[in-house]
Amino acid sequence: MLNHTPDAIELVDYIDDGEKARHYQFRLRNITSQATTYDWQSAQPGQFFMLNVPSIGEAAFTFTEPPNEQGEFRALIRQMGKLTHTLFTLPKGEILGARGPFGHGWPLEEIIGKNIIIIAGGCGLAPLVNLINGLIDNLADDQRVVLVYGAQSKRAQLLSPERERWQAHIKIYNTLNEIKDQYTLAENESQGTPLDIIDTAMSAFTKPPATALLCGPEIMMYRAAKQLVNKGMTNDAIFLAIERRMHCAVGLCGHCYLHEHYVCKKGPTFSWQELQSLV
Amino acid sequence: MEIYLLDNLDLLQQHLLIQHQLYQVIEDDNGQCSWQQQTKEGNAPLIAKLPQSSAKDFFFAEHENLLIFNGEYFQETLPKPAPFVLFGALSCDLTAISYQDKFFKDDPYYQARRQHCLLVGLDCVRPCQQGFCPTVDAGPGVREQSADIILHPLENQQWLVITTSDKGSEAVKGLALSVAHWHLLTQRDLVLHQCEQDFPDNTYITQAIDKLNSGEIKDSFWQQLAVQCLGCSGCTTLCPTCSCYSTRSITVESEQKKVIKQQRFWDSCLYEGFQREASFHNPSSDAGKRVQRFWHHKFGNEFFTEFNRHGCVGCGRCEQTCPGVIGIHSVMKRINSDA
Repeated sequence: MLNHTPDAIELVDYIDDGEKARHYQFRLRNITSQATTYDWQSAQPGQFFMLNVPSIGEAAFTFTEPPNEQGEFRALIRQMGKLTHTLFTLPKGEILGARGPFGHGWPLEEIIGKNIIIIAGGCGLAPLVNLINGLIDNLADDQRVVLVYGAQSKRAQLLSPERERWQAHIKIYNTLNEIKDQYTLAENESQGTPLDIIDTAMSAFTKPPATALLCGPEIMMYRAAKQLVNKGMTNDAIFLAIERRMHCAVGLCGHCYLHEHYVCKKGPTFSWQELQSLV
Repeated sequence: MEIYLLDNLDLLQQHLLIQHQLYQVIEDDNGQCSWQQQTKEGNAPLIAKLPQSSAKDFFFAEHENLLIFNGEYFQETLPKPAPFVLFGALSCDLTAISYQDKFFKDDPYYQARRQHCLLVGLDCVRPCQQGFCPTVDAGPGVREQSADIILHPLENQQWLVITTSDKGSEAVKGLALSVAHWHLLTQRDLVLHQCEQDFPDNTYITQAIDKLNSGEIKDSFWQQLAVQCLGCSGCTTLCPTCSCYSTRSITVESEQKKVIKQQRFWDSCLYEGFQREASFHNPSSDAGKRVQRFWHHKFGNEFFTEFNRHGCVGCGRCEQTCPGVIGIHSVMKRINSDA
């Protein structure tokens, strides 16, 4: 039988990042005293969990760090709707709930040891953090990973310390949609969107990327996927993480439908091959 | 399968009432039919009329608590219903229950109710006004796998009682029933076959289903149709196979304590905000796309594979309730003529 009941978690800490976004650290409350209801340790990069803010409800978020043996995990959360507005008012120590992990994450068999191009926009970088950390830890000598990260503005950029750290291991292109007159672009920055820099990013590979991972606004992902196909990548080598409203996360409530599929079960990661007929 | 003859239906009702709460379709003075609980004091006559609301609420409640939060942890609040019987459910609604059984097979709340229910089906021997169950393989005779007991009206006020499951056989134990001759089953087949013949010609529905699955229908057709959708949720509420829901939190405060309940309640994929996200990104902001998806969910081949049947059971409730006149019959005719 399915379980709709969350495990209790504690809001341990948070750090502000970018505009109205925070890195939250949570801890499962019963991890040391009794078995939890969910298999938290099985969480894979790109999977999601349902955060329960009592008195408000539930919403889906991805792990930036999956649950460790102490039951601690992190998520990058942007203040957007009712639930996140309430979350941002809550003090450390507050008891919340969580269910998960859910869905199909990034296709690791298409990623490990291979040349990868990653294109992320705004908060779309969050589901990739855990994956990029893992890639860097296990980077093969001849493996090339390129990240294109687009943000609306310098202030809106997220995960700056992480990108600073990653820069030593992978090639990163940052794009900014808006820049102020007096701002001087850094060496790895350009004005525009990720779509403007894809050609340049592809030329950074001596051997073409085997896999592309895309996460961000849907219209950006679709255009990026088409550009990558024009650059010679195949539809089944491009993977996109799709966002949908979710209430149950177990394929029952119907809210996240995408034709005959439910994103919570079939996704959130889809290949461009699968997705083209669905959007 | 066992078959029995019953002279007086009241005997079966009274017998079932010993161990079950019994619900039956009752017609009021205005001709409206609804499921109502019956008592030992007197049973209303069994009627083969479609109730305005299907039986889905008995298992997938219109709103129910999923859990409570006491400030420290979350607790599941599974329903604990007394055994109950739906007495005289028609084949279309029973087919819908079988459909929902598959969809909610792993849902503990649905199953907690479903496992306590005995289904007594009633054969339809005459077509109903809006129904087209034969077209979608959902009636008029009750399918063996969809009920525990089947009732078939015979001449001279007698009933053929067919038990189709262990639960059904168990339920009639202790009741003085005479075993019926097998020829009555053949007679039942003939009556049901004649009933099928008496339905109006619904081939336009089959043709429209084929057209819907051909991929030839343009988006502009659905957009034209959607002009008539008021987003009232009448169709999805009354449809016996619709199952979308939302969740909400309700805080109950007293002097002693504060308890937070999380509820789920029926929702409708035809509401404009059904898929709208906190960012206001809405993948189904186009009403035409919502209407298209609703009808594909009912008749699309892509869903047929999972359930081994269409999501429509031919009850015709959507046609009766839709204020915009885009229920099943109207839509299928429009697909044939305009799409």
